[in-house]
Amino acid sequence: MEAFFATKLDEFAKGKISRRALLETLTVAATTTYATGAANAAAPDPALKIALINHISYNCPDFRKAADWYSKVFNLDQVGATKIDVALPFGKKGEKPFGVTANNVPLTSMIIRSRDLNAPQAGGAPRRKSQAVIEHIGYTVADFDRERAKVELKSLGVENVRDGGLYSLHMTDPFGYDVQISGVANNALSDGA
Amino acid sequence: MEKFIDGLIRDFESGRLGRREFCQTLGIATAVYAAGGAEANAAPAGRGFKALGVNHLSYECPDYRKARDFYSSMFGMQVLNDKGKGRANLAFGPEPAKGGNFLVVHNPGANPPKPTEAVIDHICYTIPNWDEAKVRGALKAKGFDAPTGRDGSLHVYDPFDYDVQIANAVQENAFRR
Repeated sequence: MEAFFATKLDEFAKGKISRRALLETLTVAATTTYATGAANAAAPDPALKIALINHISYNCPDFRKAADWYSKVFNLDQVGATKIDVALPFGKKGEKPFGVTANNVPLTSMIIRSRDLNAPQAGGAPRRKSQAVIEHIGYTVADFDRERAKVELKSLGVENVRDGGLYSLHMTDPFGYDVQISGVANNALSDGA
Repeated sequence: MEKFIDGLIRDFESGRLGRREFCQTLGIATAVYAAGGAEANAAPAGRGFKALGVNHLSYECPDYRKARDFYSSMFGMQVLNDKGKGRANLAFGPEPAKGGNFLVVHNPGANPPKPTEAVIDHICYTIPNWDEAKVRGALKAKGFDAPTGRDGSLHVYDPFDYDVQIANAVQENAFRR
């Protein structure tokens, strides 16, 4: 698709097509891809093939404080609150996750909790002590522009905002957890390339 | 979309945007549009950001190769950008830049992460088209004879004793709590 864009841009630069023709051609090409991509999205999955993150289980001393912060920064609703936790889905009820067309993949959520991780689990066994840690989480936001995002984060009172690589920003949530935001330019192909 | 492209052309005409940047930017915008539709992805009018979802999880462990092999062979994650330098990306879900998630498995860096009061105590992944017998059979074949949890929502530990949950859309859904 980028080669097609380049060709049309060259034609415009050489005066072969008008600005109006360039605009119309690129708009049609970009929006036609939308329909094609949606039609080709379904594919069969083996028994353990993962489709998406279902939820992140975030545990902290005050789940309400954390939930309010994530709601404020990311415009997330809070649903299904209990005495010890609340869920923050990335979207509204009935919406599909970003990039997903299947009906059996729910919106990814954060479940923000305050619970004793040393207490026995439902089966009675103690939780194992992990050698691994999820030391930060990156979130994709719409229309990401790093400089505009810095201004917005500052106005929201977010602390420790700093650049991260080419395409993202890092910040610290109320419990010192490292949070990263980016647009889709930060992805599995570009990150670490 | 037309308004966005019009702005890009204006930036190209004024020299603010080069030919390569123009094509890359439009390519990414097309991918975003294809993944979810322009209206769905528009930033909110108020304050804060419109979060589209999780981009990646940064998973630090003593040996990234062991984690890489576990998650790729167990859950079909695609190994990307593994240059043998202590880290790899494990992609899953929609394509990269079109809503896909990825796990960055990496060895500890020179500077250990600062201690925090928050911890991500487990990650749950959705398996579509969940077939209880097939899921349990596949786990057993990988050596997980007795996963904890319940039908439609099971827990296992990865090689570094990190709690991994897999579930279907019915048992784990924010709107069904």
